[in-house]
Amino acid sequence: MTRKTRRAPRDPVLRQPSAMTAVAILAIIVFLAIFGSALAPQSPLAIDAGALYKGPSLHHLLGTDYLGRDVLSRLMAGTRLSVLTAFEAVGIGLVIGAPLGVATVFLGRAFDFTANRVADALMTLPSIFFAVAVTAALGNGLVQAMFPVGILLVPVFFRVTRAATLEFSRAQYVEAAELLGGSKLHVIRVHVLRKVMPTMAVTTAQAAAGALLAVSFLTFLGIGVQPPTPTWGGVLSSDLDYLNLAPWAPFIPGALIAITVGALNALADAYRDRAGAGELRSPVTDPVIKTHSTLQPLEAADDRQPAA
Amino acid sequence: MAVAELRAAGGALAAPRRRRTRAAASRIGGGLAVLIPILVLSSFITYSLGALSNSNPAATILGQDAATPAAVAHLDQVLGLDKPLIVQYWDWLSQAVRGNLGVSYFTQIPVSQSIAQRLPVDLSIAIGAVILAVLIGGTAGTVAAIRRGGWIDRGVTLACSAVSTLPAFVVGIILVVVFAVGARWLPANGYVGPTAGVGPWLAHIILPSLALALPVAADVARQLRTSLVSVLEQNYITGARVRGLPNRRILIRHGLRNAAGPALTILGNDFPIMLAGAVAAEAVFSLPGLGQLLLEAAQTRDIPVVQGVLLVVSAFVIVINLVVNMALSLLYRSADGVSV
Amino acid sequence: MRTCTSPCTTEPPRRSAASRSASPPARLWAWSGSPKGCGVGQGTISFERQDVTDLSRRGWERLHGTGMGAVFQDPASYLNPNLTVGSQLAEVLRVKQRLPRREAHRTSIELLAAVGLHRPDRVFHQIPAELSGGMLQRVMIAIAISCGPRLLVADEATTALDVTIQAEIIELLRDLRDKRGLAVLFVSHDLAVIRELCDRVVVFYAGEVVESGPVEEIIERPGHPYTQALLRVASVGDFQRRELQVIPGQPPRAGADITGCRFAGRCTAAIEACRSGPVSLVPLSPVHQSRCVRATDPGLAAATVTTPAEAAELAAR
Repeated sequence: MTRKTRRAPRDPVLRQPSAMTAVAILAIIVFLAIFGSALAPQSPLAIDAGALYKGPSLHHLLGTDYLGRDVLSRLMAGTRLSVLTAFEAVGIGLVIGAPLGVATVFLGRAFDFTANRVADALMTLPSIFFAVAVTAALGNGLVQAMFPVGILLVPVFFRVTRAATLEFSRAQYVEAAELLGGSKLHVIRVHVLRKVMPTMAVTTAQAAAGALLAVSFLTFLGIGVQPPTPTWGGVLSSDLDYLNLAPWAPFIPGALIAITVGALNALADAYRDRAGAGELRSPVTDPVIKTHSTLQPLEAADDRQPAA
Repeated sequence: MAVAELRAAGGALAAPRRRRTRAAASRIGGGLAVLIPILVLSSFITYSLGALSNSNPAATILGQDAATPAAVAHLDQVLGLDKPLIVQYWDWLSQAVRGNLGVSYFTQIPVSQSIAQRLPVDLSIAIGAVILAVLIGGTAGTVAAIRRGGWIDRGVTLACSAVSTLPAFVVGIILVVVFAVGARWLPANGYVGPTAGVGPWLAHIILPSLALALPVAADVARQLRTSLVSVLEQNYITGARVRGLPNRRILIRHGLRNAAGPALTILGNDFPIMLAGAVAAEAVFSLPGLGQLLLEAAQTRDIPVVQGVLLVVSAFVIVINLVVNMALSLLYRSADGVSV
Repeated sequence: MRTCTSPCTTEPPRRSAASRSASPPARLWAWSGSPKGCGVGQGTISFERQDVTDLSRRGWERLHGTGMGAVFQDPASYLNPNLTVGSQLAEVLRVKQRLPRREAHRTSIELLAAVGLHRPDRVFHQIPAELSGGMLQRVMIAIAISCGPRLLVADEATTALDVTIQAEIIELLRDLRDKRGLAVLFVSHDLAVIRELCDRVVVFYAGEVVESGPVEEIIERPGHPYTQALLRVASVGDFQRRELQVIPGQPPRAGADITGCRFAGRCTAAIEACRSGPVSLVPLSPVHQSRCVRATDPGLAAATVTTPAEAAELAAR
């Protein structure tokens, strides 16, 4: 039998209804990102001067914009840019931040200290300001603009994986594994990573949500988008100018953004509730917590190195 | 025994409090000390953006025709663009701490002046947003925690989830649509300083502040609810009740005081995000703020302005961080870790 | 009398009101027994001749602190970890007694001294994490008595403490009783301490009073098999232990519906009559009661004997 049977996801986290809805939504979005332009009912660029800001109709399922272009098609076509650049940012953050976060636990005090200070410095920069500033240097492209967003995600991943690694590297079974002769790398790979994964999953989902918001934001501000290329934020921005004509208009792209971000957050929540990862611990109930100069409760008293 | 000692001790500040204050002070001092390198580092990052630029500002300033190699070289020297990056950075920083952020490449207006002109706008909405976030988030979180499990709690949780998925600019747009275009209660755009009257000033900043505040308030409320619920289950709350203390006092002095920490931390962490939202608010509400300044400067590649704005914004964030840290220190004395 | 601990600890049904009248000195009561369930099952609770069974929240707020105070087992957890112990003590004085700040401070220090703390002025400014268990329990007592209550409830107050400190706290409680006329309701499973400290004992099992009487009498002539078993296990009174004794079986689940005596399932002396219907308190003397069908049966002691050595002792008596 070569026909693939549909099975429920094996991962117990994903079996919850909220998570499954979220995954379904995200799957649609990704699908649109790949095939959006091709599947759009009309050309996203087709101007129709006779149908300016019309409401939803059979012909235009989501109405038209200020140039008479079909909103649904524009949004579908714009999905690719938003999704790809969001991926870019998350990718940068994950690929650089996470390994550094795990490694720093094992690479010694000096390294850890410096890495933390750099992370602190990066975290004081509001992402959008930074992104805009980078476009001044590197040119007005969306790819360039998402690069700093990615860089600013690095400390987030760093912090989270560092905290998670610290928590588990102190576990006794890790000590035992080392004593039994496993090399550090082996120990990390086999034991620590498995425990750090859920936290990373949560963070990735949240980072993706944030990155998507950032993309929408940047395109809303006009960064990196050359009209008439459609983007979610761009559609939103132009709707703003014609608010008097069509007060309902911005809700459409707004809802799209919100739904996607909401799905990502729901996924993150599902993982977090299940695995207990990524929670802020209260200084009251957790005696290990101390305040830290850069406001990271997950740091706890973890400026100490584990007995490495 | 005790009486004689009492008399001798008088009202002197007892040793344990001194010890704790010293511990707290050293932690804050340590925090400050770490702050300087952070400030330097972030300003260096922002400064190097200029260096990353491929553009040749001298050529741009001179204009297409006048940009002969000699003229460019000369202007480079005048502007100090031929020195190594570190030196340039140091010059810039030492000037910056004196308040001199350079001069715009194009308009020749001192950067600090442009910034000073627009800072009040952002300050108004940022501070307004923080106040609103604390009020709204604090109340919502507290009420949800006290009436845990009830419909208020569920409503608040739902609202928080919904609102935090919405970016500030979407919230802003919604607010504009509802309050300004729809109901016409509040102005849709523009800014009016408090000198022109407190009323109009408030009317103009309340919607943008609200737009910035709501997503953060949602985060704060969620965290506060969780912390408060767990704090209220602690034995010392029971202890306070058994002493016959009134409910309100228990809630505030014992409950909220201990539960506020993580929420405060979230507020501090969200602050850069709030500032980023300010850029959106400026766009949606047509406010002449730093965000607009930055956007224009980015488009024209007016590097000194870009660097100046970034520096001011980072400094702002760092100050807020410091304030939050101090507040946390005051609230959580037990975290000083002084053991018997 | 009612326990004034948090709403969810036991309100055991009591039918006698224990009040402090002008002439007799305040008495130390104790009770021991199995863990209890929630809520008032039956009967009423009165405090100082007032029915407090259905008192409102406000009513309790008024009663707590000024009428009765309480200390619990783990004193550190009952204090706000982020405030100095002194400020928590002064808080009660300022709120309940409306003392001005300065005077509250002064009175607090006096109270801390009265409960036996050295350098009370220094202790005032310390946070709970900086103090030992014994010191914290003294602080708790100071707070509990600060507004002059007539009753102090001590719920396993010495259980978590070192034995030597335990002795000191007991001494303190005795002192307070004598000097301030404070009635103390001492809840414990430690019969040795109870014997040391208390005048009367009330024994509970499965949420019911099974025996009550003067402490010496109960220890020498227990009138209920459960009490006997407790004494045996604790090796108090005539039951000198030579090997580890346990009471076989499990206490009934809270809210379980049982006809007859609730201890019958674990009692070696149980007979038919024990399970047939509800058992009421049988007076063994004007001050001593027991809820046992065989309370006045002289064969009861023999029926509960568990070791040959005990049997021999019994015969010799």
